[in-house]
Formats: sequence, C-alpha cells, structure tokens
Amino acid sequence: MKAAAAAFALLGACAFLQPPPKPADTPLGPGEIRSARAGESALAVGKSTKADVRAALGEATVVDFASGYEVWVYRERAQEKEPAPKAELVLLFTPSGILTRTRVR
Amino acid sequence: MGTIIRFFALVAFCTTAVAADDAVVVTTLRNPVAKSYRKMVEASKLFEEKRHLAPEAALRFKLLPREQDVTMQGIRLKVEAESGAIPLKVSPDQTFALEVDRRALKENAQVVPNRKAGTMTWRADVRTPGLPPDTRRLGDLRLECEVGMKAGLISKYPRGFWDWLDALLPEGPAYCHRAQPNYLFFAERPLFSVTLVDGARREVLSVDRLYSGATKDPDWKKHLRHCDCAALLDRAYFMPLGDASWSDETRVELEYMDGPT
Repeated sequence: MKAAAAAFALLGACAFLQPPPKPADTPLGPGEIRSARAGESALAVGKSTKADVRAALGEATVVDFASGYEVWVYRERAQEKEPAPKAELVLLFTPSGILTRTRVR
Repeated sequence: MGTIIRFFALVAFCTTAVAADDAVVVTTLRNPVAKSYRKMVEASKLFEEKRHLAPEAALRFKLLPREQDVTMQGIRLKVEAESGAIPLKVSPDQTFALEVDRRALKENAQVVPNRKAGTMTWRADVRTPGLPPDTRRLGDLRLECEVGMKAGLISKYPRGFWDWLDALLPEGPAYCHRAQPNYLFFAERPLFSVTLVDGARREVLSVDRLYSGATKDPDWKKHLRHCDCAALLDRAYFMPLGDASWSDETRVELEYMDGPT
C-alpha cells in the first residue's frame, strides 16, 4: 500500500515538473495556421470554395460584409518570445463563395 | 355637409399637387444631421495653419452614408442661422467647401443637410492633385484627421463603446499625433489591402488596420451599429498618422476588392 502511494506521489511530481507543451505541439485554434505561405499555396484562386478552405485550413476569423463579400483571416501561431508580428493570410471570397484574392503579410 | 365636401376637395387638391412633382424638396427635418458651423470654420483655420502637411491641397468636407440604403444624391445643404439660411453647393462626389460668414458665426449657425440624424457621417477631404489612381498621400490624411477632429465631425457614440472611441472623442486634433490612432478613413470602394510606400520602404498594413479593426474584435457585429462606419465597413482603414518614420510624402496605395488580381 505504501509502495503504491509512493508511486502515485512520484507520478504526480513528474507531471508537475514536466515542461509545458511547446506551441508547435498543441493543436491549432480557430484562425491559427502553421505557415501562411504553405496555406496560401494549398488554395486555388477562382476555384476554391469556402468549404474547401475550411477543410484545408480549419475555421478562420471571418468578417462578412453587406455586399456578400467575406474576408477570412488566418494567422501563424507566434513562437515563444518572438518579437516579430505573426504572419497573416488574408482571403477574399465573392458573394458566390469562391476564393477571389489572397495575400500574405 | 358642405364643409365635408370642401375638406375632401382640399385633400384631393393637395394629393394631386404633390403627385405632379415627384421631386419633393424637404426643407425642414425634425432631427437633421447638423454640425457646428463655428467648429467647422475653426477647423478651416487649422487647415491653413497646418498647410505644410499638404501644401498643394485644398480643403473640402465630405458627406458619407451611415446607413446602407440612404440616398446620397440630391443632398441639399445650408448654413442655418437665426437671420436666415445660406445654401452650400454639394458636388456630385458629396463634397463641399465652406465660406466664412461673420453673421452666421455670430449667430452660432449650424450646417444642416436635408437628411435625418444617424443617416450620414462627415469627414474632411484633403487631396493633393496629380496623385496616381487609387493612391492617397499620408500628409493629406494627417491633415484630414486634424481638421476632422477640430471640426467635431466624428459622430458621438454611446459611453463604453469600443475603448478607443472613448479615448478619441475628447482629445481633439492631438489624437492624430498618436502612432496608431483609430481615426477612420474611407476609401472610394471596398478595400482588400493598403500599402504604405515611402521611397524604398514598403509595408502592407495588417488586416487589423482595415475594416475598423473587426478582425480583432469578436463582438464587432454587436458594436457596428454604433460606428459611423456601419455602411462603409469594407471601405474603412486606419493610418499610422503619428509615426514620424513615415514622411508626409508617403504614398498610401489602395488595393480594392474588385481590382485587378
């Protein structure tokens, strides 16, 4: 019984001492992307639909306008202590839902 | 009975008279979009004092839609004082120039269009002639901000609405000297990208500086109705006005949603 308690205590201590997971290891959140350039090259202007983009890159930060156009934004996850701003991939969809413009900043 | 007949005859006459002229001119509104004439004249003086920012430009003021379906054609504008009204000529691009009238100043006149409050917003319009198409000049925009803030052209917002607006309103032209002020400019058409070019230096603005910052505000839809950008969200952008590393000659290149790819 004492041995089992000691084992659990040791496991608990190990968990406590374990370093937090690196950002690259954790799953991407909404609007996050590993590489803006790679994300852009995975898409086809004039062909990709919103569903295609969602399947390839996941959920985006979306601004939908009264005109029917939509801007979708993905940002690269910032690395630890990274001073530079995160790269962003900006996509424009026509009212019919087709990707019409892209840019990476 | 005779009185009733005369009444209906009068109603019929009035109805016919109105129908004969579809272009009904609304001369008085209960709740018009009005601005202080005095403040706008003071802002014009500030424009003269700060001409070094845009030496070749002229000052005009511009009316912009605040609601999606407001008609911007046929706007009639006047300086309304106690002793009478002075009509102002509004160009087809909805800009107008202001002239100084001492009597109107003394009487604390208002600049009043024939539109209801909440349907339109106002901006200063400062444009150096001869720029390439789809290009603005940063010095012009710096001056637009200062004149616009001095004139009190930015609409009032409910208290607590977007922190940056709370900070903006009481500060006046000095607000434009901040590195990244949230003074909204509006392009001619919906924007996809804005690039600053100063000599060899070139920088694309973050998408967070477009669309009134909607991409960094999860509740932007809730706030939108309070913003004077409500009908122009896709044309709205901020500029790094107080960032002295960008000269007044910096070109602001506007890339439109419907532009060439």
